[in-house]
Amino acid sequence: MVKYALKRFALMLMTLFIITAICFVLIRLLPPVQLPLGDPHTEVVEARREALGYNRPILVQFGLYLKAIFTRGDWGISDKLYLGQDVLKLFISKLPATMLVNLYSIIFSIPIGIALGVFAALKKNTWIDHAISTLTMVVISVPSFVYAFLLQYFLSYKISLFPFLMKGGTDYFSWSMFVSMLPAVMSLSFGSIAGFTRTTRAELTEVLTSEFMLLARTKGLTKRQATVRHAFKNCMVVIVPAIFGSFVGILGGSFIIEKIFSVPGVGSLYINSINGRDYPLFMMLTVFYTTIGLASGIVVDISYGFIDPRIRMGSKK
Amino acid sequence: MRKFASKKVLAVSLATAMAVSMVGCGDKGNSEQDPSSTPVPTQGTSGDDKKDATPVPTQAPSTGDETTPTNAPDETTPGAEVTPDPVADLGELTGVAGNYTWKAAVGTLASYWNPHDYQTETDSYPLDYIMSGLYEFIYNDALNPVEGKDPYMGYVIRPEMAAEMPVDVTEEVKTAHPEFGIPASATAGYAYRIALNPNARWEDGTPINADTYVYSMRALLDPKMKNYRASDYMDGNFAIANAKNYYYQGTDIYTNGKTAQEWLDEGVSQADILVDMSFWGISAADGSQYGSAADDTMIRDPAIPEGEDEDYVSAKYIYETYLGPNGPYAGSGYDSQYLYVITGTWDENYPVENVGIFKNGDYEITIVLNKALAGFNLLYSLSGNWIVYEPYYEACKSKIGDTDAWSTTYCTSVETTMSYGPYKMVAFQSDKSMRFERNENWYGYSDGKHVYQDPTDGQIYPMYQTTAIDTQVVAEASTSKLMFLKGYLMGYGLQADDFTEYRNSEYCYATPRASTYFFIFNGYLEVIKNREAAEDFDKTKYDLETLTLQSFRKAVAVTYDKEALCTAINPSRSGGYGLIGTTYIYDPETGARYRDTPQAKRALCDFYSVDVSKFASLDEAAASITGYDAVAAKALYTQAFNEALEKGYITDADNDGISDQTLRITYSASVVDSFITKTLDYLNEKMNEVTAGTPFEGKVVFEASAPLGDPGWSDNIKAGLTDTVLSGWNGSLLNPFSLTELYTDPLRQYDAKWFDSTGVSLELELNTASIGAPAQVEKVTMNLQQWSKALQGDTIQVGGKAYNFGEGIADVDTRLEILSQIERAVLNTYDYIPMIQDGSMALLSQQVYYVIEEYNPILGRGGIAYTKYNYDDAEWADYVKSQGGELRY
Repeated sequence: MVKYALKRFALMLMTLFIITAICFVLIRLLPPVQLPLGDPHTEVVEARREALGYNRPILVQFGLYLKAIFTRGDWGISDKLYLGQDVLKLFISKLPATMLVNLYSIIFSIPIGIALGVFAALKKNTWIDHAISTLTMVVISVPSFVYAFLLQYFLSYKISLFPFLMKGGTDYFSWSMFVSMLPAVMSLSFGSIAGFTRTTRAELTEVLTSEFMLLARTKGLTKRQATVRHAFKNCMVVIVPAIFGSFVGILGGSFIIEKIFSVPGVGSLYINSINGRDYPLFMMLTVFYTTIGLASGIVVDISYGFIDPRIRMGSKK
Repeated sequence: MRKFASKKVLAVSLATAMAVSMVGCGDKGNSEQDPSSTPVPTQGTSGDDKKDATPVPTQAPSTGDETTPTNAPDETTPGAEVTPDPVADLGELTGVAGNYTWKAAVGTLASYWNPHDYQTETDSYPLDYIMSGLYEFIYNDALNPVEGKDPYMGYVIRPEMAAEMPVDVTEEVKTAHPEFGIPASATAGYAYRIALNPNARWEDGTPINADTYVYSMRALLDPKMKNYRASDYMDGNFAIANAKNYYYQGTDIYTNGKTAQEWLDEGVSQADILVDMSFWGISAADGSQYGSAADDTMIRDPAIPEGEDEDYVSAKYIYETYLGPNGPYAGSGYDSQYLYVITGTWDENYPVENVGIFKNGDYEITIVLNKALAGFNLLYSLSGNWIVYEPYYEACKSKIGDTDAWSTTYCTSVETTMSYGPYKMVAFQSDKSMRFERNENWYGYSDGKHVYQDPTDGQIYPMYQTTAIDTQVVAEASTSKLMFLKGYLMGYGLQADDFTEYRNSEYCYATPRASTYFFIFNGYLEVIKNREAAEDFDKTKYDLETLTLQSFRKAVAVTYDKEALCTAINPSRSGGYGLIGTTYIYDPETGARYRDTPQAKRALCDFYSVDVSKFASLDEAAASITGYDAVAAKALYTQAFNEALEKGYITDADNDGISDQTLRITYSASVVDSFITKTLDYLNEKMNEVTAGTPFEGKVVFEASAPLGDPGWSDNIKAGLTDTVLSGWNGSLLNPFSLTELYTDPLRQYDAKWFDSTGVSLELELNTASIGAPAQVEKVTMNLQQWSKALQGDTIQVGGKAYNFGEGIADVDTRLEILSQIERAVLNTYDYIPMIQDGSMALLSQQVYYVIEEYNPILGRGGIAYTKYNYDDAEWADYVKSQGGELRY
């Protein structure tokens, strides 16, 4: 397992390097944004690009970029959207808001989603199962921003239960901050709850009809005992990696939800860096999210081995 | 055991996530900067945010794109420690007695408001509150009267950070300081001595003196900083003497002003001639602005579809095909504008002392310009400011890695910002919120000058009743609306769906905008034929060529009732009838508008065939214009049908008098949204009504293109790949004369590919006394482009005589006549059909009111200085509660 993990890690580094190199080269090959004809700032912009080294050979630029990262931990200075500011510090300053909103959402979603899924599976083909399944499909089909506006209208506007927007400031663990996050958390949670419900129900339904469940019952276990000890544990092989995946996702943020509730997070950073052609910011985010994506793949794969001893990663036989 | 392991995995994951988030929470306060990092300064603005902007193309947006009214705002938030926090009350509004908080919402928050380097209007937002200009515009009233103007109908310019009006010292400086290079013949307009306000302080109480101004200008022009705003003080009207020498020291000197032949005659080789690639709207092969005229590296022009002519061009191609001695632009003025030669190098180590600003005393500076400037334009340029707080500025500078560039974090946080205006920044959270409070060290609160006489009760009141300004990001208009109705915001910009309900509200304010949106119709016949030749184009069913017929365009021009169109798609706008909008001011001294002049009115009457003699006055005749005539439209459609048949554009195989083909007009959409849909629905509905009974009944259809983005919609129109769009220009609000270039300069024209402005001759009868020549009425004939250039101040040779109708050379009536005749001539091409005068409407909170409700093109409605409150914050909270928590407007 260790050898397998190390091998995956090495491959991950190589993939990361290739993706980084490709992105860097492509982004630097883009022509500069044209100012309107006759704009007096054209010369100034050109002078700045020259000074920043944009006119040097691409490979030289890439070498300098890597050198700055490895020798000084310098990911660059934003040259468009947040002029003059260190892109890494900027990103880190925005992570807490995104992480907390997503974390609360997952914390709410997991128990509720799994509980509903278990309940639906145990009541399979009853009106309860049909109701839960129908509701699940409806919720999955409706985009989260629809809930966001509905929540904002009813809970914030009509009954003044919550503020319209997430509170400002960095007191992330204050009660008022928590309350102000709830509309965003709820908007994000509906989809997750439905997802967990559907997955749990599907898996558990299948497991409950397995032969080993019959054996468990014939051994004398009660239905509850058989379900909890055997059926549910087997479901976890699918559910736990999904949970891991959700946790990885908390770093990504939600562009739409963050926008609607004015969450000062990272959700819109990536797309803004592309639209705004903020190259240093784009590169830093590309490397970060690529790393997260690759690492999560490894973690999820390895987690199967811990959850289900029958799965042995990397073994030849 | 295994169950336990699963729990552990979950627990560890949660703990890790929490730990990471805690690390990220490390910063204190609302600033995104580490408080221990360098503190920093303040600003001043280059002043350019008030300068006249270069016109830029705009596409008719779905509604006013701002979510609040002029200068203003919305909701509460940032510094929770200072402001009552609505969150704590679970959505209920609270407030403090005696506080007057202006609550603003913005779509995007400023992130970098360094007065030397900000690049966008968004980033300049804080400067409106935390800086003051050397001179200031205020309303005229009994305290500051203007002869011949009723109170609040004009404006006064008075010293603000300056102590007195500038004194012209050109003669004195010319003699004492030859290093500034004031021309020997100059007697005025080049050098000004400005006494500074000795009471001006930074927010920490540090005095602002002459050293501050001199240091700040030198810092602004510092060659290593490459400040974006440096060009505002090097180019244009307000150009500091020797600023370019200092800024560009040690770099190549790019010189233009000569034709290719002239350069060649001087012995310059073709390889040494550089083509400014902005001529083509692209960059050179190496990404820079200039390409050698001998460089044949092909560069993709994204505006031209792959496979079309000139989809790839090189600098050499542009030179040899257009700008070179054998090209059609030889001697046109464009060759001398876009061909450069490196004629040397700016002096290394140019002494900063030679930059045209120096101090005469602790509170007196002299500014030297490299070209003369006086009167309104001088004061307008000085209504901004460039000063920075030296300790912060120096501490924030740093070199960027291994590059030659420097960057600064100056004005990116509270800690790096120092105010010297009416308000100071006290809280900032990136992409979230910012808060300003009264700067008690601002002299204006105690100098007795910042007061006004209320036009209603005649009493004297201090300006700036607002005690704090909370600004936060509210991205969605629907959220803004709900917050406004709950009392959290001061304003709400009406969206398309709101007009019916709110347009007649007493709290609704209409604000005119600069742009006139016109239909542009595709006349690029060559491209149209290519499109029709495409395999997927069924010529038996569809047609495009008829669109190029002027009779057809004339028919479309009178098909739509413009006021009804605006009512249908966006009632905050009104009908547009001329190319130049109603807000353009030709005389900033008096605020006189171009559209109100007899010349402009006559031009419109001529174009719309209004017989002025049938009206009591020219004003009445002009007011009668609707641009709508269904009867004439029907006749014109029939005429267009006959012409199209004759040219073979369409057929009528069954001789039923109805076109066999449907004319499909593709609307160049940047995005396809509800506004576009609504607009096209309206256009099609009315087209069907008017074409009923004509050969085009049901045969003209407007369709939206695929979303083309920006500037894709514009590029496609110019390339003839789409057929129409509602678009216009904004900018140059105080100089309508400059707009003629947009319709006569092929680099700016939408219709450059099918309309040559040099081919249209215009004869005007002018008294040459108007340009300083002996009085004589003379008929002058030039083409449109020449008239336009002469209006911009170029000297044009015609028939052995030189003509120049630039500002300060020709009298204003002559210039107005030329402008109006160019406008009429361009309208007569029917390439542009004016439809909409842009405008917006917004609701203003019941908590406040404007001292003067009428919109002033210079001062708007007075901004934060003239905003008064009906309730303080505590009273407002009570009032909202008494209304059931939901306000009615």
